[in-house]
Parts: sequence; C-alpha cells; structure tokens
Amino acid sequence: MLFMRLELRGITKRFGSFTANDAIDLVVEPGEIHCLLGENGAGKSTLMNVLFGLYNADGGEILINGESVHFATSGDAVRKGIGMVHQHFMLVPVFTVAENVILGFEPTKSFNRIDYATASDKIRKFSEEFGLEVDPDAIVEELPVGIQQRVEILKALSQEAELLILDEPTAVLTPQEIESLIKIMKDLAASGKSILFISHKLKEVKAVADKITVIRLGKVVGTGLPSDSEEELASKMVGRSVNLQVEKSPHNPGAPMLEVKDLVVRDERGVTVVNNISFTVNRGEVLAVAGVQGNGQSELVEAIAGLRAVESGTISINGVRVDNASPRECLDAGLAHIPEDRQRDGLVLSLSVADNLVLNTPRAPQFAGRGSRKLQAVRENAERLVKDFDIRTESVDAPVGSLSGGNQQKVIVARELSRNVDVLIAAQPTRGLDVGSIEYVHKQFIRERDSNKAVLLVSSELDEVFALADRIAVMFQGGITGIVSPDSTRESIGLLMAGITEQVNV
Amino acid sequence: MTTVTTPVNVIRRDTPVGRTRVIGGIMIAMALFIMWVFAFGASSKATSIITFNPLNTSGGAPWTLGNLTVPSRLSDVVLALIALGTGIETIVRIPAKRVMARFGFVSVLFLLGLFVWTVRSGGPSPTNFIDLTDILVNASGITMVLIYGSMAGIMCERAGVVNIAIEGQFLGGAFVGAIVASATNSFVFATFAGAIVGALLGWVLAFFAIRYRSDQVIVGVVLVTMIGSLTNFLNLTFLTPYQQFNTGVTPNSIPIPLLDKIPIIGPLLFNQNMFFYLMYLLVGAMSFGLFKTKWGLRVRAVGEHPQAAASVGIRVKGVRYFNTILGGAIGGVGGVAFIALHGQFNPGFTSGLGYIALAALIFGRWRPAGAVVASIIFGLTSMLASGLQSFNVPVSSEILGMFPYIITIAVVSGLIGRVRAPAADGIPYKQD
Repeated sequence: MLFMRLELRGITKRFGSFTANDAIDLVVEPGEIHCLLGENGAGKSTLMNVLFGLYNADGGEILINGESVHFATSGDAVRKGIGMVHQHFMLVPVFTVAENVILGFEPTKSFNRIDYATASDKIRKFSEEFGLEVDPDAIVEELPVGIQQRVEILKALSQEAELLILDEPTAVLTPQEIESLIKIMKDLAASGKSILFISHKLKEVKAVADKITVIRLGKVVGTGLPSDSEEELASKMVGRSVNLQVEKSPHNPGAPMLEVKDLVVRDERGVTVVNNISFTVNRGEVLAVAGVQGNGQSELVEAIAGLRAVESGTISINGVRVDNASPRECLDAGLAHIPEDRQRDGLVLSLSVADNLVLNTPRAPQFAGRGSRKLQAVRENAERLVKDFDIRTESVDAPVGSLSGGNQQKVIVARELSRNVDVLIAAQPTRGLDVGSIEYVHKQFIRERDSNKAVLLVSSELDEVFALADRIAVMFQGGITGIVSPDSTRESIGLLMAGITEQVNV
Repeated sequence: MTTVTTPVNVIRRDTPVGRTRVIGGIMIAMALFIMWVFAFGASSKATSIITFNPLNTSGGAPWTLGNLTVPSRLSDVVLALIALGTGIETIVRIPAKRVMARFGFVSVLFLLGLFVWTVRSGGPSPTNFIDLTDILVNASGITMVLIYGSMAGIMCERAGVVNIAIEGQFLGGAFVGAIVASATNSFVFATFAGAIVGALLGWVLAFFAIRYRSDQVIVGVVLVTMIGSLTNFLNLTFLTPYQQFNTGVTPNSIPIPLLDKIPIIGPLLFNQNMFFYLMYLLVGAMSFGLFKTKWGLRVRAVGEHPQAAASVGIRVKGVRYFNTILGGAIGGVGGVAFIALHGQFNPGFTSGLGYIALAALIFGRWRPAGAVVASIIFGLTSMLASGLQSFNVPVSSEILGMFPYIITIAVVSGLIGRVRAPAADGIPYKQD
C-alpha cells in the first residue's frame, strides 16, 4: 500500500459516564503533517489509542483510503499501515536495536531461529533511506533518548507504516534533538508518509504542521494553520483568551538567600548525579535550572530539601547550613518545597484537602494543641486557602486524590506559600497542568519573587524557564554548563543542555 | 534523503566496580581460609588419597583411573595459591564478564581443599580416602531435580510470572508420579502424569496472576502450602492403607554405550536414569528456544516490557498462560524425577528443594546455563550437608544447608554480582 488517506468520522469513546472523545472528525491527507493540539486531558491520547486499536470506540468509524476498517488490536492497526511512536517508548531496554525493531515481525531461518543478518540489513536499509542513523547492535538502554526515539520511528517504518502517530514526542528531547526530529518528520512527509503529531506545545506545532486540529474536552473545537498566532491557537485550545506573557518587574536582586557550594550528590547506585555544583539564589529573583530530564535536577532539589544525603559541599538557607539536615530543619530554616512528583511526594492522596493543607505545619501552635488537633482552625485555614488560591473542590473534607491534577497542584502551592518563607524551590511545577493552572502557578511564583523571596525553579520546559527566570542555570550530566541571562537565544541554551560550552558566550 | 547530524554517542553505564571488588575480596578470604585452616591444619607429613571408582557401570570392564595420593598440606597450599591468584586478578583487573564464573571456580577449589584436609592421614575421618566420582554421582541426583525446578521457574519468569510455587509443583508431581509409577511400573507414564498435575498447578497460578492480577508471590506461597497439606492428607487416607500404590520403584539406569566408560564423566553423565537424558534435552531446548528463536524473543519481550510486546500485536496474556502452564509441567516432571531418586513418596519430603531451585535460577541470572551451574554448586552443598558427617567433619550439616539461601540473599541484594530480573517479572499486566 502506498500513500494513505486517513479519515475519522464521529469517533466517540466513553469511560463510564465520562465522554473522552465526542464525535471527533479528522482527515489526514497523504504526505501531510497534521497536528492534534489540545491540553492534557483533552482526549488526544484516547483518540490515538482508539486509532491504534488499543481501545474500542463506542461510536464512529475509521476509513483508510475510503475503506472502513476495524482494529481489534494494535496488531491490526500495524498491518493496515499505522505506526505509533509512543510518548513512553515501547522499547525493551535490554534488547538491541535490531531485536526491538523486528519484534513481532521477526525474519526467521530454519527451526524458527531469528535471522539477525537479514534484520540488520533491513535496518541499515531503512536507516539510509530515511536518514535515521543508528547502530542495529547497540543495546537500547545505553542509547540517548533522542536516538531511542529514532529507533521507535524506525520500528514503525520497518513495519511498513504509511501513517505515523507521534504522541507528545518532544517532551524528553533537547532543543537540538527537537530540531532534528522536526527535520525527520518533514523528510518523511516529503516521501509521502502521513504524520499525525500530538502536542500541546504551540511553538513546535507551528514549526512542523501543515494543518492543525484543536480539541478541547473531547471535542474538535476548531482547525488552524501554522500561520496562526500562538495566542490564537492557545485561546482555541483553552477556550478563552490567554495571556502567554508573564508580567514582572525588572530584576532587582537582594541579599543571597540560598547558597549552594561545591555540592556533590550520589544516587542509590552510588553514581555521582550532582557533580560539584555551586550557585546562589538572591532575594527577589527567580533562578531557573534548565536541562533535559535526568541530568541531576531531581537529586539537586532533593538534596536541598533534606530528602537526599549530601556527599560533599554545603547548602545554606539564609545563612543556616542545611546540608544533610532533616526535611524538618530545612523547612524551619525558611524553605518551601514544591516537589516534582506531587502525588508521591507532595500529597497524601487519601487524606482530605484540609489535612493536606497543614501537612507542612503539623506542630504549629495554631493547629495543634497539647496532644490533640485544633480541627476547627484546620478547617478555617483550609476554607481560606481554597478561596484565596481558587482550588476547585466540592468540600475541604474531600480526599485530595479526587481533585484534578491542576487543583492538586494548587493545594501544594497554597500550602507551601501560606507559610512565611524565604526560599521557594519548585521542581517541574506545571507538568501535566492545563494552561489556566499554569498561568495561575506562574503568577504566584512572580508574586513571591516580587515580595522579595528567593525562588529556585527547576523545569525542563524551556518556555516556562524563559517566562519566569531572571537567570538560567543549565544542567548537563550533573554539572552546571552555564548560568546565562534569559535574553540568551534558545539555541545557545540548547547547546548548554547538550553539554556543549565552547560556542556560547556567557 | 539527507542525513541528520546528531551525534550517535553511546552512554556507558558505570560498571559495578565496587561489587566486583567485594567478590574478589570474598575469593581472597576463601583462599586464606584454605591456607590457614586446611593447609596448615594438616601435618606436613599427612597424605590424602583421592579415588575415582566408577559406580553404576553395568557389564564390561570400565576404563578406570588409579588412586591419587597427594601430600595434604602441599596440595592445599597449591589450591590456596590458585584461589588467591584468581581473587587478586579479579580485584586488579575488574573483568567485565565471568566474575561469577571465577567465583564458582574458587568455590570448587575451596571444596577440594576441604576434601583433602578432611581425609588426610591422621585426621578425624574414619576413612582416609575420598572418592570423587562417588561424591559427584551422589550429588548428581539432587542437582538434576534442582535443574528441573530452575527450568520451571525460568520458563515462567522470563514471561513475567514469578513462580515461587516450584516446591508445590514438585510435591504434586511426586505424589502422582509415585502412584502411577507404582501402578504401571512405567516412569514414562509417571512423567506424563506428573507433567499434567504440574501444568494444572501452573494454570492455577496463571489464572490468578493473569486474570485477577493477584500478587504472584502470595498465590505461589498459598499453592505450596495447599499442595503440601493436600498431599499429606491424601498420603494418610490413600497411600497408607493402599501401599501397593507407593511401592518405591525406581527407574533403571540407561548406560550410553562407550560414553559411560569414560572415567568420572561416564558414570556421572552417561549412566543415569531417563530423567537425566530428558534434562539434557530440556536445558538445550530452553537455551536455544529462549535466546535464538522468534518464540524466545517474544517471551522475553513479554517478561521485560509487556506493553511494548502488546503494541506489536503479541498476545501478552496468551504468552504468559502458555509459559506458566509449561513451566508448571516442567516442575511436575521434576517431582517425578525426585521420586525416581527416592522411590517412595513421603509427605513434605522435598524439604525446600523447590526454593533452592528458585535460588539457583536467580543465582544463574534467569538463564538456563547459569541455572545449571548454580544447581551444580547447590547440589554439591546439599550433598555435603548430609555427607560430611560420615567424615567426622566438625561442621554442622544444618549450617551448611543454609548456604544456598545465604548466597541467594547476597546475590539478590546486590552484595555480590549484579542480577537483573526480567523487568516485568511479577508485575501483573493490565491491558488499557
């Protein structure tokens, strides 16, 4: 089969009473890069899982070149020429590239033996044809993420996919890797492959799309063109006008509040993950730590928050040494911490909103008497914070796990900011949040900065870093490759994120 | 098409240097132990006799080796020096591969040193010779059963289902195997019966693990306990009154012509009962199947990353059912093999052998060949645990019996060596 025209007609998918996809129509022409734009939870992934045979639709039909098809399993979809590059790679880490690519479609010799020679040849052929350089004998887990993604694409192509679905493919890539991916996508489209690109990042969508379909709350709410402005696309996606610029006063740093000096931290396996890092965060400024996930940012934050042992070096908050201090001592020194994994480290999901809002102040005299809790005060505190921080919950007694992701994050932000602190550290604070909540969280951070607090923001979203930072520290393999101003170009930061320091003039 | 120029650099993981050093350290400690306790614990005049008497050979004069009389102290010094050299080499060179093989080698040297010291002239042992062939042949039975058990485990765990119920599959297979062997006098029928019972137990495990996504360790433990009690009960109510169904038949040894005449190896490998030959086939087939064939690649994919396997159309649940049932059948055959060794069924007489098999497969890193090596080491220790008393060695057999478990804890906790279970081992698969 050469060239594919895909059409979705009225696809509907329900989970219980919740309608995740509501009569969605979509057409992808051959050689077209079609972007599906929508916020987290808008129903993009559900739609793709229906298209890829992982879910059965409750209504509607899928047409390939005008012919109605039905996919009971993803194997059916693959046989009809649909390939998917999953957000979480569907690669077996301990297998070689070749083993991953041929899995499910193995060339065999006598006795059912796998014909690895044929497999490697086939991979080399595809690598050359599509410019996807990769070593068939490399073990996948030893490859950088960008190359692993290449293997995923190669896998889909070798299964003779004519339509590629890429589900949020840029989340784990450096800007350079993203550029390389965009180039690969354009080359593939030029050779006649159709591409369905799922994203909530406006810049990428504008850079790569031929056509854009926006979905919100499970419905198609409009289409767009890459020439549309970011604000236009964003307001379609969110359903109201949004202000993507964060307004803030000029950078006017005060006294140093958080000082990290020659910090070395190891992970559970004893590997050095934070390697000799030094920086200072001053009053009235946001220092953003940029970098691709997994370059030591998480461990850095854990070390500062007292959750991970420090091998050597010092950390001080407001002049008080807190390296290897307990989390309690860190909080007492004036630290507020918004953890990366809010459900694991930030909240007790089965406890009520009210209880979660006092988790960081269990011994505060206003909430705890002699041996008993002052429940009335806890409840009043919760009602005030729910109102101030616009937390959408049916009641302060509802378990926090019943709230949406955005509102869970607001509970943490409210709790951490309700204490009078000097230093705020936040790791990936807007991951998985909708645009509205992101706006809100960003405003709160700027408010803290403007009220003369020191803010350390760790984020792998460059947009967020540029929007909030007064200074940007870039981490790569445990070290800081540079601390630069937010006026630097994306490209120069991208190079720092890849560990290349020579070309950058700081 | 143009080429995209992103560097294809490979990130190498940190090699477990520290752990390799620990293993090297343990090896040196063993070498020093051989030196101080065994070598200098023997008088410089003492000699030890090692014999290689063939066993089980039927008909015709076998080729034999003569007795070997060695000076006790000097031999142990030599063994200690070889062990020391291997340990130092490990610490200095930090070899990337075959660290555990070196460890196994030093363990064997340690055992040899122990034998030489035990049977030295003027020592406490009533006999002053040790028959190497006899020791190996005695250990081979338990080793064989352990290999069946560890293959049963590998079959399941490579597909992502933890099979902690090997002990139960042994007991079930042994019970039915004893009855069928007694009734029909045929171990071929008994083998089929044992395989069916084991497969049934495998199916129960698979059913709860896959359909209900239960905790596989709990299901496994429950199965072992339940089968233990059930066979106890059936033994009392059925086998005790009707003893003609538990006569204690054992299968004949089948010598392979010519090969069985080779000293040591002949009696050990080529003059055994049918279960040994079946085991050779099984180990070969599993090594080949898991690592060379399409089937094996799919099984391992299911055990490592079931979502990835499902995304290319592999039926994860089907593979898991198939492998768990097949693994159970292998465990059942292992139980019949145990009957072939013991003759009569006795309640609970496998006494934890299934768990040692589990330890062997972990020690062998979920690979058939590795599990065979581990089974040999554990089989030898099990034999020594019961055999050393006859040499008046002042080591408690109960203490020695702990050895496989201590090794397993050391391996699982990463103290020595690095083992990685299949990534999805024991994790129920949920289709979304």
